[in-house]
Amino acid sequence: MRERRLSPNLIIGAVLVALVCGVALLSVVWTPHPYAVIDVGGKFAPASAEHWLGTDQLGRDLVSQLMVAAGNSMMVALLAVGVGCVLGTAFGLLAAARGGWTEEAIMRVSDLGFAFPALLFAIMLAAAYGPSLSVVVVAIAFINIPIFARVSRAAANQVWHREYVYAARAAGMGRFAISRDHILPNIAAPVIVQATIEFAVSILTEAALSYLGLGAQPPAPSWGRMLSEAQTLMYLAPQLAIWPGLCIFTAVLGFGLLGDGLRDMTDPRLIRERRA
Amino acid sequence: MSYFIARRLAGFLLTLWAVSVVVFAVMNVLPGDPALTILGIDSTEEARAALRARLGLDQPVVLRYLDWVAGALRGDFGTSFSFGVPVSGLIGERLPLTFSLALSGMVVTVILALVLGITAAARHGRPGDWGIMLLSQMGIAIPAFWLSMLLVLLFAVRLRWLPPGGFPGWGDPIAALRSLVLPTAALALVQSAVLARVTRSAALEVMRLDFVRTARASGFGSRHVLWRHVLPNALVPIVTIVGLQFAGLVTGTIVIENVFYLPGLGRLLFQSIANRDLITVQALVMLFATLVVTANFLVDIAYVIIDPRLRGARG
Amino acid sequence: MIEVEGLSITSAAGPILRDVRLHVAAGERLGVVGESGSGKTLLAMSLMGMVPDGLHVTGSIRIDGAEMGGADEAAWRRLRARRVAMIFQEPMSALNPLRRVGDTVAEPLIRHLGLSPRAARDKALALFEETGILGPERRLSQYPHQLSGGQRQRVLIALALACDPELLIADEPTTALDANVALRITRLLVRLARERRMGLLFISHDLAAVSRTTERLMVMYGGDVVETGATAEVLRAPAHPYTVGLLAARPSLAAHGKRRLPTIPGSVPPPQELPRGCRFSGRCGQEIARCADERPQPVATAPGSWAACHLLRARAKGAGA
Ligand SMILES: Nc1ncnc2c1ncn2[C@@H]1O[C@H](COP(=O)(O)OP(=O)(O)OP(=O)(O)O)[C@@H](O)[C@H]1O
Ligand code: SF4
Ligand SMILES: [Mg+2]
Repeated sequence: MRERRLSPNLIIGAVLVALVCGVALLSVVWTPHPYAVIDVGGKFAPASAEHWLGTDQLGRDLVSQLMVAAGNSMMVALLAVGVGCVLGTAFGLLAAARGGWTEEAIMRVSDLGFAFPALLFAIMLAAAYGPSLSVVVVAIAFINIPIFARVSRAAANQVWHREYVYAARAAGMGRFAISRDHILPNIAAPVIVQATIEFAVSILTEAALSYLGLGAQPPAPSWGRMLSEAQTLMYLAPQLAIWPGLCIFTAVLGFGLLGDGLRDMTDPRLIRERRA
Repeated sequence: MSYFIARRLAGFLLTLWAVSVVVFAVMNVLPGDPALTILGIDSTEEARAALRARLGLDQPVVLRYLDWVAGALRGDFGTSFSFGVPVSGLIGERLPLTFSLALSGMVVTVILALVLGITAAARHGRPGDWGIMLLSQMGIAIPAFWLSMLLVLLFAVRLRWLPPGGFPGWGDPIAALRSLVLPTAALALVQSAVLARVTRSAALEVMRLDFVRTARASGFGSRHVLWRHVLPNALVPIVTIVGLQFAGLVTGTIVIENVFYLPGLGRLLFQSIANRDLITVQALVMLFATLVVTANFLVDIAYVIIDPRLRGARG
Repeated sequence: MIEVEGLSITSAAGPILRDVRLHVAAGERLGVVGESGSGKTLLAMSLMGMVPDGLHVTGSIRIDGAEMGGADEAAWRRLRARRVAMIFQEPMSALNPLRRVGDTVAEPLIRHLGLSPRAARDKALALFEETGILGPERRLSQYPHQLSGGQRQRVLIALALACDPELLIADEPTTALDANVALRITRLLVRLARERRMGLLFISHDLAAVSRTTERLMVMYGGDVVETGATAEVLRAPAHPYTVGLLAARPSLAAHGKRRLPTIPGSVPPPQELPRGCRFSGRCGQEIARCADERPQPVATAPGSWAACHLLRARAKGAGA
């Protein structure tokens, strides 16, 4: 029997992720105030029953902005990592199934992906096509393809050497059908772990790009952009520089811990170590 | 050994070539008319045609690519559209600052990560280990630019010990170094978080090996065993991550320069984007990607230097 | 000179070494045999002060008159290599793969004896010659992966000898080597012990190796010493049922291929499942009622020899009555 104790990492991570996702979902139907309503008279309001965390330099409610920003951030991560994961895993499965020059070619091309950090790739795209959240999504998705291709190919190559796969091949099952029915379910664990970790990376990347002005454009709220606006007001309203950063930190920490926890739970090597 | 290095070198050059194609394609072919991007949609057709002629955009794409590569190999990246001076001159001016920041960030990162990682491994399973791992978990989750802002809030706004940003130039070395302290700290704290974990787990792996027992049986203290026997053997995974992190260091430098208003290459990149100066952006992106690829190549070479077993085996 | 009295090691699961007593004088060669899991390595580690964390050690270990029972790490560190040195079973992995073997041997010379690098190199060369390493000059600058198993084991011996220890512990030094190489290594160990007047604690599975290497022998089972005496005597006339079984299980040349080798049925149970009384009960075949619960006391079988088995006491009494 495999020992599957829930680690503290996993529990804390899951709680934080649930919190962030819950807030993001809630923001779709409800925020304490409309996030974009400007009230110059009520700018820099301190925290109160009316505005839980106060208001910003245009009198907009901070909590509402943070909530909607959470939704945007999750959406970007979901789209980017989703696309990168699906395409990358497909390439990885193909590489493992075909082997030979197909595998070689796919792996060489994905090596190329590692020459471009996501941020640099996004900067390049934003320079050529103008800054927007869609550019961010495309850039992160692109950079994720080789990452998932590698992970899934390595895992798939191991599964291809299992006995039940040999049995399926002997029974005349095709490579595509084997990939779908036998390989994919068995590489799900490492792919999901990787996706969770990439989710964290994606949140960080989006925040950095929006901070630099290449991501979310006004008036769409974004943690990163809120921070860049707060930076010019640091002497005036330092509290504005705290909350968005704390949100990014919480979300990234949550997905990071969840990913680590899932990996510890599913990695057979670690299980052996823990029991020894 | 030379065969191994020759193969890596070939792969390195091939990757650089492919990177140049991608950069050129993204910046020149896909977006449609660069003249439109540069001059904006309000521009007249004559102005755009004139610009196209001036930039050589009326030439076939392949010729333009070859021109660009040939120029780049000679160190000529063309003339900046917005500054009106050669891009290479702009880069040369700003390189020292970026280089200093990246180098100091790297050095502090490695020292911090090795000390924390080895210390955690030595206290495996005890409170010290837990504490260091918790710190590193937090360091991984903190965005570098937010950490920078927090550092500025504390050390510049509150305590007024250090400048909040800007760069006084190298004329006053003390002031110059002072203005690099916070950027370096922000860069290194974030980067070392990942590296410390890798160092710890690599060290733990090595500590289980028999020769560590031999070293202890030889009467060496645990510190000597850790730093002189365990660490060198843990270096292969550590160097791998340092190589991978180089990408993070490059992008980190770009971001940090913008947070602290440091006039380096990262700042230049953003000014050029704001000015729609595609020629400069293209040169800078190529430069940064080249740095990342080169770092990965050097890591491959470093393996051979670290591990004598690779020297003979791969012939 | 090392004297051990009442040495016990306990883990959370129960005792894994009970009341071990031994002594090795200068130039003396003591063998330790026993199946896997009988506690031989743990005994060796406790003589180096290197028992793994989480195990509790009690009893007296006197090294050159100094009491080391309960000594701290710093005190042990001063003894290691200088007084007591150890070589391990796996010559493949027991050397730092990133270091030239000459540097590995020179390291304790520089750090412990304060030799200059040049003097340390000369001493390392002399040690390589003493341990019969072929082409010693050239070997100094080679890496472990360039050496054969036998050569590596010699390097480990040279390393262990570097600071002229009074006791050398060899934990199954020949198990990983083929028979011919093993023979030469045991001869080397005997020669070194004689020439240097150095004590040797030789741990092995291999009764043939023990018989040609040691003068006295200690048989261990389940963390207990069950029999001890002159090596030749114990092997010729074993008194303890376990020793008898061990000898019967020995592949002899005459028997080879002609009949099935008798073996002791089963294997050593894990510490928490060992019986409280005689550790061998359950596998013994001759056991009597009290074996499982009452620990047998040592009974002298010859001058300087004893075995711990209830049958012997009963026999001795029977003879006396
Ligand atoms: N760190 C430890 N914690 C708990 N039990 C241990 C530990 N190390 C060893 N043991 C137990 O102590 C017993 C003796 O182990 P030891 O390695 O000394 O046997 P050995 O005689 O050297 O066997 P082998 O011939 O296989 O080397 C074993 O049953 C083992 O399970
Ligand atoms: S004491 Fe009993 S069980 Fe132990 S060896 Fe003697 S007869 Fe066998
Ligand atoms: Mg052993």
